[in-house]
Parts: sequence; C-alpha cells; structure tokens
Amino acid sequence: MSPLNARPILVDTNVILEAHRCRCWNPLVGGLQVETVEMCIAEAYTGQQRRRDQLIIDPGALRKSFHSVHAVSKSITAGIALLDGPALDIGERELWAHAFHRQDAWVLCGPDAASMRFGYIHGFRDRMISLEELLRSVGSRIPPDLRLHYKAAWLRELFAKFALETK
Amino acid sequence: MQLKLGWKLRALREASGLTQAELARVLGIENRQSLGLIEAGSRKMSAEELVRAIEFFEIPIDEFATPFVVSPESRFSWRQEGVANADLVRFEQQAGEWLAAWLELAQATGFDIAPIRQRLSLTRSSSFEDAASAGEHIAASWELGPVPAKVLPQAVESRLNALVLMVDALPGISGAACRLPTVDAILINRCEPDYRRNFDLAHEVFHVMTWESMPPEHIDGASPTNRRVEQLADSFASGLLMPASVLRDYDENSPDLASQIAEAAAELNVSGTALRWRLASAGKISQDVARSLPADELRNGRSKRVEAPPALYSKKFMEILARGIAEGHISVARTAKLARTNIDELADLFCVHEVTCPFEL
Repeated sequence: MSPLNARPILVDTNVILEAHRCRCWNPLVGGLQVETVEMCIAEAYTGQQRRRDQLIIDPGALRKSFHSVHAVSKSITAGIALLDGPALDIGERELWAHAFHRQDAWVLCGPDAASMRFGYIHGFRDRMISLEELLRSVGSRIPPDLRLHYKAAWLRELFAKFALETK
Repeated sequence: MQLKLGWKLRALREASGLTQAELARVLGIENRQSLGLIEAGSRKMSAEELVRAIEFFEIPIDEFATPFVVSPESRFSWRQEGVANADLVRFEQQAGEWLAAWLELAQATGFDIAPIRQRLSLTRSSSFEDAASAGEHIAASWELGPVPAKVLPQAVESRLNALVLMVDALPGISGAACRLPTVDAILINRCEPDYRRNFDLAHEVFHVMTWESMPPEHIDGASPTNRRVEQLADSFASGLLMPASVLRDYDENSPDLASQIAEAAAELNVSGTALRWRLASAGKISQDVARSLPADELRNGRSKRVEAPPALYSKKFMEILARGIAEGHISVARTAKLARTNIDELADLFCVHEVTCPFEL
C-alpha cells in the first residue's frame, strides 16, 4: 500500500470544519493530497455550515487549498442513491458517489458513523481513516480539543462494532 | 431502497395526476407495466431513469431518493382550519418523513414498535354520554391522575405504543392522527396554547382508538356526514381530560362561578369553555347556568404570561434517532435536516429530552 501522502485523501464537510476549528487545516493540506466534492465545499462556507457558531472561512482560500474539488454529475449521484444503506446527507452521499467512481487508491476521512457504515458495507473498510491519523501522518501535533469522532480510537471502535454485527 | 423509490414515484405521479402510461413515456420506461413494477418495488430503477424523474418532477435527488417514505396505505387525518391544500400536502410529506424515519430506524436498531391497538367499543350511533364515559374509563384505566392532560402524551406513547410528536406545524394546523400499517401516531402543533394542544391530543386519541369502526376523514369534519364522529371525539376528549372524579361541586348561585370554573380549568390544563360544558353534561351545573356564564370571565384563570412551547418531537422519537445515529443508520447531518434543526440545535434537542447525545463532532 502506498503511503498516505501519495494517495488522494477525500474529506467531507465535517472534517473541513473541524480542521479549521482546531487550526490544523494548513498542515493537513500542506502534507497531503486533500480533495473533496463541490457539495462538501459549499457546505463548509460561512453561512452554510449548519452550525450555531459559524467559522469564518474564506471561500477562495479554501478552494485553493484543495488539491482538487470535484463536480459530481447527477447520474453518478443517482447511482449511489439507488443503493441500500444508511441515510446520508447530500454532501456525504456526493462524496461517496465520487469515491465509488474513482479507480485510484483514494482514502476517505469522515467522522460520521453512518458515512463510515456506508463505506464499510460496500467493502471499503481499509479506505477509511480518521483525521487524527492523517495529522499524525504529516507529523502535525494533535490538537488537544480535537473532538471524539475525529480520533483513531473512535473509528477503530466503530469498525469493531460493525464487524460484530456481521458475524 | 427500490420499494421506497417506488412509493415515492407513485406518490409524485398521483399528485401530478398522471397515469402510469403517461409517466412511463416521460421517463423513457418501456411501458405502463414496467412502471407499475417499479412502483411496487419489483423492478429496479436505473440511475438514468432516476435522473429523468428528478428532472421531470423538479425535486432534489435527496428528496426523491429518501428511505423515509411512508407506504401508500398510510392515512392521515388533519385537524386544521384555513390551510391551503397544497400547503397541507407539503406538510403531510414532511410528517410522513418523520414517521417513516422513526419506523425505519426503530426497525434497524431492533426497537419494538408494534402498536397496541386498543379499541373503543363505540360506533357512530353511540351517544355523546357513552363517548365521554369511554374517555373517563381510559383516564381511570391508564391511571392519568388528577390532571390527565399533564401525563397524556407519555401515557399515549406507552399504553398504545404510539408516537406523539410535538411539531412546528403551519398556522391553522392543530394536529393529526396518523395510521401507518405498523405505527400509530399523533402530531400536535406545539405552538398552540396548552389547553388546545391537550384537547387536540385527546381528540386524536379517539380517532386512533376508533380508526376501524369510524375512520376519520383526511380533513376532520370536512363532510357533514362525519360531523357526528368529530362530536363523539370531542365528547370523548372531555371525559378523558375532565373525568367526573376530578370535577368539583359548584354553587350555581355564586357570583364568581365563572372565575371559579376558570381557575379549575387552568389547573386541569383545559379551557374554561370546555370545563363549563363538561360540568353541564356531568350534571354539576345546569345547561342554563352554563350558557349564562360570560366567556371572558371563563378565560380569566389562564396565566397571562406566555409559556414556552413544549420541546420539539418526543423523548421516544429522539431515543430512536439517537440509536440510529450511534449505530450508523443515519448521519448526523441527515438527522438535523430531518429534525429541521442545525447540528448544534439537534444536540440541544437530545439534551432537552434527557437522551444522551450520540455524537461529538
């Protein structure tokens, strides 16, 4: 398996916001090939964050910080929408639709149990990673206020639960 | 998912007044039979067909391809006044999404949702007194205590294994009784005054408990033939919220009789008017005296301060959402959209209902 810095890292809206909140976005995008989809970047803009306290994020700078931001066609999103699985929000679904369509060694980072379940049941257990692990891979300090769902232990525990369900 | 897509497609087609053959042509589906199979969940819809459908109906993909759709057999009966039909249809879709989500997540997380379909032995020809007695009987057998209105939502949820949701409904909508094949539910507009909410809930309990013998209309009281059912529901609600055991005796000659009744009504969380007629029907005061009581004095017992509405939805509803999130059956962002909140408000809502917030993100 190629090292993380040689692989496209797909991040969802939550990860973009948490990395900005904890001030670890720059080391992340500086050390890795971070990518997302149009819907996730739109959801990360100030005013669109669906959070009470809006982080001030400059849209131009945010877009520029990504290695790529992908537009996802309606038919690709529709293909994912037809699949069984957990109920995802539109940005999460678009990110997975894009990932399903790619042929390279992408890795996906998201903190939501349903999004992780979606990847798990479709056979991508080894393609999902926590924000904490990504930060470690670039030698960045782990912010002390990093929330639970972005930590490696949370993701490990979640996968252990999923594994028990399928036995 | 295919079955839910089929239900959604059927609902959209019927709302547009199209035949299966017409829609099949629009979507480029071979024939009417194939569309029928898609609507029944027996034939898979392709991505291209789905795209054509969302473009034709002009709705976002996540609204179309949602797992939270109620089955076509689901029925709603709305208590409303002056709400435009198109607005009611839209709100019914929203209500259907709440109920379908609850049902879907309850099943996914192994929660027992089978409704306890306790029936009232009343018919259209029952008397109003019989309906009130049935209400009293329920208040006693469910052990609702001295102020039935206070505990009624929780009692309905536990005794009938139904769902009672406090919702932000459009102005004019008081509430609804809902019957899904495997769920009974009551929606109450939480922005209505407490006495009205309580009476609406008791009224809807009647519909839930008499659905087979006296199926309510889609809009309560829309046709004169069903008016009697609505009156029986009101009598039942009176008996349920104001059983004889909690009614005091009054001196009909007292100069402040109206104020006394108003105060008692406030204690019972009902309106002074409702208590006035209940006292008359229970023989505590005469019909003539009841009629003579001034309406403005009957309202005097109500607190002048504006009370905050009850928390959105219910603890039972939020518990299932929490389980769904924790086990990864619904994402937090999708849940927030379902609950019509942002993510922080969703966390607050769990807290208000004393349900452990299932996420930290």
